[in-house]
Amino acid sequence: MLKRMLFIFLSFGLLSFAANVGDITNVKTLKVDRGLTETGKSCVECHAKITPGHINDWKESRHGHVGVSCIDCHGVKKDNPMAAQNCEGIKGTDIFVSSLVSPKTCERCHPNEVKEFQQSGHARAAIQIQAKEGMKSLMEYFEGRNHPDLKHSPEATGCMQCHGSIIKLGKDKRPTAETWPNYGIGNVYPDGGVGNCKSCHSGHKFSIEEARKPAACASCHLGPDHPDIEIYNNSMHGHIFNSEGSKWKYDSAPDAWEPGDYRAPTCATCHMSGIGNLKTTHNVSKRLKWNVWMPISKTREGGYETAVKDFENGKITKGNALAGNPDGSAAARTEMEQVCVSCHTTTHTKNFFNMADKHVELYNTYATDAKKMIDELTKKGLMHKDKWSDKAFKIWYHLWHHEGRRMRQGALMGAPDYAHWHGVFEVQQDIRELKIIYEKRIKSGKIEE
Amino acid sequence: MSCNKEKKIKSLWLIIGIFVLGGIIGLLFSFGVAVGVHKTSDDKFCTMCHTMKPMANSYYRDAHGGNNVNGVRAKCVDCHLPHDSLANYLFEKAKTGLHDVRVQTFGDLESIDWEEKRKHAKRFVFDTGCMSCHTNLQNATSSNTKAFIAHKEYFEKRTDKKCVECHKNVGHHILGDYIKK
Repeated sequence: MLKRMLFIFLSFGLLSFAANVGDITNVKTLKVDRGLTETGKSCVECHAKITPGHINDWKESRHGHVGVSCIDCHGVKKDNPMAAQNCEGIKGTDIFVSSLVSPKTCERCHPNEVKEFQQSGHARAAIQIQAKEGMKSLMEYFEGRNHPDLKHSPEATGCMQCHGSIIKLGKDKRPTAETWPNYGIGNVYPDGGVGNCKSCHSGHKFSIEEARKPAACASCHLGPDHPDIEIYNNSMHGHIFNSEGSKWKYDSAPDAWEPGDYRAPTCATCHMSGIGNLKTTHNVSKRLKWNVWMPISKTREGGYETAVKDFENGKITKGNALAGNPDGSAAARTEMEQVCVSCHTTTHTKNFFNMADKHVELYNTYATDAKKMIDELTKKGLMHKDKWSDKAFKIWYHLWHHEGRRMRQGALMGAPDYAHWHGVFEVQQDIRELKIIYEKRIKSGKIEE
Repeated sequence: MSCNKEKKIKSLWLIIGIFVLGGIIGLLFSFGVAVGVHKTSDDKFCTMCHTMKPMANSYYRDAHGGNNVNGVRAKCVDCHLPHDSLANYLFEKAKTGLHDVRVQTFGDLESIDWEEKRKHAKRFVFDTGCMSCHTNLQNATSSNTKAFIAHKEYFEKRTDKKCVECHKNVGHHILGDYIKK
């Protein structure tokens, strides 16, 4: 008897748990009337049944609070290139929607955020891929083996997922599989909009908390060539975040998220957030003194990123690699120091950047020497035609693109293991190897087998 | 002495005469200009050229073209000329007018990419025009959260976006479908 009762209790408990797990089941009968238009209401109520996940996110969002509903972002005019009536509920009406939502929609209410974003390096992410022949040949010809049917998979499953793509539509006005879906930050939409707010804020919830946590950046900023999340975890900032970050406050208003809400910065704090007198910006390049992703680091004196403007004028460009602060790299550094001194002394801050800058300059000496060897070999015809099978080229590539970035980024973000073991240690090994190959080729006048 | 006096009176009359005549000519001229400015302001004038047919037709289907409860209509120039000062208004009118006449007479009308031109609508739709009718927009939207949020940055002058950059089809109902031919 006792066993049977226990069994009944257990099943009852399990059932009620299953009935309430997540919010998804609860929204199926959602009835809303919060100043939404009739169309807006009917979208929400119907989609609560068809795509409860979307509605669940929306109802927890700020948009849900202020009465911005599906149609406000997804509704488009009939002559918009993305306009379709793929949804049964609106077929034959004069309402047109698009599954894609371009920044041109977001900027109707958030013009400054979109503008700042478009002045940042993030904005050229997709455009520059299309402008760089070398990148395209790596993705399609070498990695995709120029296979008639399969050659687009490396970019669609890889590069574009972070960089974004120039989205193309099929005849049915739905995006093609080769160019979408992705969460890539530099997406170019068929209506000409550039950027992707949901890369950091994620679709339908658009949470400020989410974007302020390192996870927002970590899905792209990781791995051998820019291990920024690993660098963060290696730093004292990451250490504090990882031990107590779950207890911090992440939903303060923009410009008002200050030390106290958190005890160590996340990526957003240093690169974007308003702190002290510093204003919030969606231009992640604005507080950067150096360009630390190029083969040789230069200070960022290029002003604003120009890729979006170029694109509007019909040009696909590599963008402005030295984009940063419109007042130059010294102003950028001053802004970053303003972040630091919210928690650190001026001496601490200055000393830190003093040595970090030296590490960048040290890297530059390696890169300059290596580049000189590569240039000379190229000039003398001592480089393989297919550079990806050339040993010297591969060493050079890893020196700057992998080890060199780790060395520089590790130094500038306080990650000893990356500045040293994954960084300068490997760079000095690389240049030795390169030198041996270089001397052999110069001496013999041919490329070794 | 008397001869001098007569001369003086004569020249006084001459001066008065010049002023009166000038006044009359001036009045007639400005009347002509006013009528001219007025007559060249609406859809009847602007659609004299075949080129403007798609713009006109999409305009008639739009709230701004009379397709509203009261049948009120904004004239072409209400949106397509600046309303900040009379001088600016007239200058822009003369400039666009001459440009249009030149292109209409000597230009290759077939080669005009209207879809491309629409992308730069902010160059030929003026916010001062919008705001000279929508004078209460700022007050009217502040009580409606959704409309207020969308216009907050604009009225606080924290964005340089122009009205037509958000309100893309305003004035011309689905213009894209009309200019496709």
